[in-house]
Amino acid sequence: MTEIYPSLTQCAVVAAALKILLFPAYKSTDFEVHRNWLAITNSLPLWEWYYEKTSEWTLDYPPFFAYFEWVMSQVAKLVDPAMLKVYNVDYDSWQTIYFQRFTVIVTELLLVYALQMLVDSSHGASKRAAQAAAVSILLSPGLLIIDHIHFQYNGCMYGVLIASLVLARNKSTLLWSSLLFAALLCMKHIYLYLAPAYFVFILRAYCLSPKSIFRIQFLNCLKLGSGMAAIFGAAFGPFALKGQIPQILSRLFPFSRGLCHAYWAPNVWAMYSFVDRVLIVLAPRLGLPVKEGALQSVTRGLVGDTAFAVLPEITPRVCFALTLLFQTIPLLKLFLQPTWDNFIGAVTLCGYASFLFGWHVHEKAVLLVIIPFSLIALRDRRYLGAFRPLAVAGHVSLFPLLFTPAEFPIKTVYTVFWLVLFLMAFDRLAPASSRARFFLFDRFSTLYITVSIPLIVYCSLLHGIVFGKSYEFLPLMFTSSYSAIGVVGSWVGFLVVYFTS
Amino acid sequence: MAKPSPSPHKPRRKAKQAGAGHATGSSSRNVSAAESMARVPAFPLAAFLWPARGTVSQWELLPLILMAVGLFRWAAGLWGYSGFEKPPMFGDYEAQRHWMEITTHLPVSQWYFHDLEWWGLDYPPLTAYHSWLCGKIGSLIDPAWFALFASRGSHDPTLKIFMRATVVVSEYLVYVPAVVIFVRRYSRLNGVATWSAAVALVAILMQPATILIDHVHFQYNTVMLGLVVASMSSMLAGRNLWAAVFFVGALGFKQMALYYAFSVFAYLLGSCVFPRINLPRFIAIASVTVVSFAILLLPLVLGTLSDVRRGIDTRPDLDGPRPPLPLFQGLAGYLDTEGFYYPVVEQLIQMVHRVFPFARGLFEDKVANFWCALNVVVKIKKYPAELLQQGALVATLASIIPPNLVLFFRPRKDLLPLAFASTAWGFFLFSYQVHEKSVLVPLAPMTLLLAGSHGLSKTTRAWVGFANILGCWTMFPLLERVDLAVPYTVLTLLWAYLLGLPPTSLAAYFHEGGNTWTQWATLFVHGSFYLLMAFWHVLVKFLRPPPDKPDLWVVANVGVGAAGFCVCYAWCLARLVAQSEILPRSWVGKKEKSKTQ
Repeated sequence: MTEIYPSLTQCAVVAAALKILLFPAYKSTDFEVHRNWLAITNSLPLWEWYYEKTSEWTLDYPPFFAYFEWVMSQVAKLVDPAMLKVYNVDYDSWQTIYFQRFTVIVTELLLVYALQMLVDSSHGASKRAAQAAAVSILLSPGLLIIDHIHFQYNGCMYGVLIASLVLARNKSTLLWSSLLFAALLCMKHIYLYLAPAYFVFILRAYCLSPKSIFRIQFLNCLKLGSGMAAIFGAAFGPFALKGQIPQILSRLFPFSRGLCHAYWAPNVWAMYSFVDRVLIVLAPRLGLPVKEGALQSVTRGLVGDTAFAVLPEITPRVCFALTLLFQTIPLLKLFLQPTWDNFIGAVTLCGYASFLFGWHVHEKAVLLVIIPFSLIALRDRRYLGAFRPLAVAGHVSLFPLLFTPAEFPIKTVYTVFWLVLFLMAFDRLAPASSRARFFLFDRFSTLYITVSIPLIVYCSLLHGIVFGKSYEFLPLMFTSSYSAIGVVGSWVGFLVVYFTS
Repeated sequence: MAKPSPSPHKPRRKAKQAGAGHATGSSSRNVSAAESMARVPAFPLAAFLWPARGTVSQWELLPLILMAVGLFRWAAGLWGYSGFEKPPMFGDYEAQRHWMEITTHLPVSQWYFHDLEWWGLDYPPLTAYHSWLCGKIGSLIDPAWFALFASRGSHDPTLKIFMRATVVVSEYLVYVPAVVIFVRRYSRLNGVATWSAAVALVAILMQPATILIDHVHFQYNTVMLGLVVASMSSMLAGRNLWAAVFFVGALGFKQMALYYAFSVFAYLLGSCVFPRINLPRFIAIASVTVVSFAILLLPLVLGTLSDVRRGIDTRPDLDGPRPPLPLFQGLAGYLDTEGFYYPVVEQLIQMVHRVFPFARGLFEDKVANFWCALNVVVKIKKYPAELLQQGALVATLASIIPPNLVLFFRPRKDLLPLAFASTAWGFFLFSYQVHEKSVLVPLAPMTLLLAGSHGLSKTTRAWVGFANILGCWTMFPLLERVDLAVPYTVLTLLWAYLLGLPPTSLAAYFHEGGNTWTQWATLFVHGSFYLLMAFWHVLVKFLRPPPDKPDLWVVANVGVGAAGFCVCYAWCLARLVAQSEILPRSWVGKKEKSKTQ
């Protein structure tokens, strides 16, 4: 098979050049979070990792990520030992910046490798599409904004996820796929959102006989069970011995946080808050009671509890029930037809459900939907139709993460570049569907994409000129409500595609 | 990355024929050039544009290219600038900011006189007008950035963003459109396919030296270079009058454009003489040039006259009698110092005096030109300045006359970049008061060769790449002084990688066909320079120079750089002579013929 150009390596080299140039860019508190974790894992014994609280950014990722930080800290020692002192809060010498930024680029090589696996696992006409999808993930503005400017290690972890998804394509590597996913869960627990799809798929395709769901494949179950036990044992075992599991769980799942993470994550609750804000104005005319105490809380755009003025409160229980409900529906189909395409679709829909209905969802979690979706967006035009508004909404919703003027051209131009390039490329590559298109979805997505331009202009430029520093919540609210419409629209569209194909 | 669909799918819209329509105006523009028929992209940049062959129209491609190169510019601009936190004088950034400060706050007649010790204005008037405009816009955002005196040495981070933005905007208004149009015209003239032209466009816009100097170190060279490219582009289109106008603009922006002046003159004059003498054309060009100069100076002249009427003195800090003219003192005898025209004369002479610092030495800093390299061997600074000036004049003339004679006798459009490049190399190597940043001037037309006939062939890429990488390398001491080694490394290596050049690849030196002997000779010459450059970097990184020779590394850089630039000059000149076919065939040895292949 001839090589398709540009190759992933070539893209990775050029992208790395841009990422190195971005070293002096804005970095969020996550930079300090990770520096602190380097310091904790390097200078404290294992048993104190989850108890240490000198810095407010305590270790709240599962143990594999802590081990990962420990490995990096061994190199960090050689670069600048001062960054490994727990008391050195907010330490950012240029060696520290170079080192930490550099580790993000290096660990992202895992993503490049996983994407190459993805391309190699496709054959024939779909290889070209797989290559385009792989390049689009590698160059994703989401990863650029979150990892290389804002600062996190998502590239590496999505690399593990993609490797696991690719391994699931082949019957013989299903076991490795599930073990890899288990390891990923022990790195970052946000991937629990995708776990139901894995559970159902592995159960049906690996643990039960393909011929009948009542015939259990005991040997497979044994292999899977012992593998899982080994991985979770390696991660949590040392802590379990000391009885630290409750402490770790309280760090991993801080249920005390509010429903909405500020105003930002473009999900159902953002729309719900928006409707609530509108109802504050309309309530006196409709004769609805307004809770006075709630009036001030949401408008600040700060992290904290969201209180609703008119609409009923949402409890974590409601969120959980809704998430589970909307995850279960697509999983039923996956259970009946455990194909790889259905699996990826189900993973995507699990991501959608948890992003749209979850409790305290972070806007960064949108990658949980975009990246699995990218793998199947090029199946045919109907998939692409659902993907398009998501690609726009998901990336636009990340804009508020970077609010400094120096990074404004980077985030906007890069995102527009990516959208133009890949939506155009995907448009050429996606084959026509065998089924008819449905309910004007393409019209909606074109209109939707067009609206994004005045919205970005208003939020980043006009608002500042017209209102100055006041009403700062308005651009945030517009961005998240706009993005929420796109994400919900694409979710509905994809649900239809998933169940009709 | 937009891949043409291979699968039997029914497109919802008819596949656009526009791309093909643009591409094939005439048979020479078919996608039939050797490089686009290849099965495999020859270098990574071609691989990136590989999916765009054939089906993608340039109106889809161009915005993507402009966005991509813009991202690299802006990202590079996040790094420090010259003089960042380096009191007392700071650097070029402060100079440009200071000019915005004085042009927006002082009457026109004081611009060239104001406190010359603190970055006094020493660029021609168009730079002053440009500074005025940027300063006015900046003052709308925050007047403190350009407050008179109070703002000196400001390192407000928001001001930095504004200043960076002015460079990017100026470049996208002047240089980028000029290069886009030039590449289109020049590639059509040479029968190069649209796709290859797009590859060349990216290569030219990603040229590391301009990004490093303008967007990182901080200057506005691309405005001057853009006006020069616009002038060349007008020559390609046969609009010689516009060429004159644009070139006057370039000269009026930065005196470094003088490096090209002989070529512009030779070409325009040649086109009036050959194939037959065309006197009206000559008169038109001459008068348009004079009128453009007049328009260029008009604001300065009118401003001076109005200031005189309002009783504003050019030097309010100075008491006592009027000081004599800084230049042409002999002129004073013929002029009435009380005449209404005298302030204007004084203003213009002061401007010329500021712009051309004859009073300074042959060279100031260490720069990779002939004189500075010669200084290593013979301490030439001990000779009288008069003699050195005359020597520089003679050497410069000797180096620039041959290419310009060729251009005069053969005023052909396809020769323009080569003639401009060899003339500029001559100036850079042998003239007076050269800056290391001036290497941008010869590099610009030489890099434009990529858009010409066989521009992406291995030979041209190897030579253009060699000159560019060597040019960046000679600017390393300048960049390193303000901790810019990282953007230097990234941008230079990235460009070398994209074009498949050393140190990332040797592929450009081996090709089938062509003279093997020339190939090995080129590889030997380039290879030894690349090795020297690498070795020098290792030295600088790990060894301190001996205490009695603290400048040793810089001197070594200058010596190697000057030698390499001499080779570049020779190559440009040889190729110009060969391509112009000005010498009778019997004279041309085998060697030169093989170089053009």
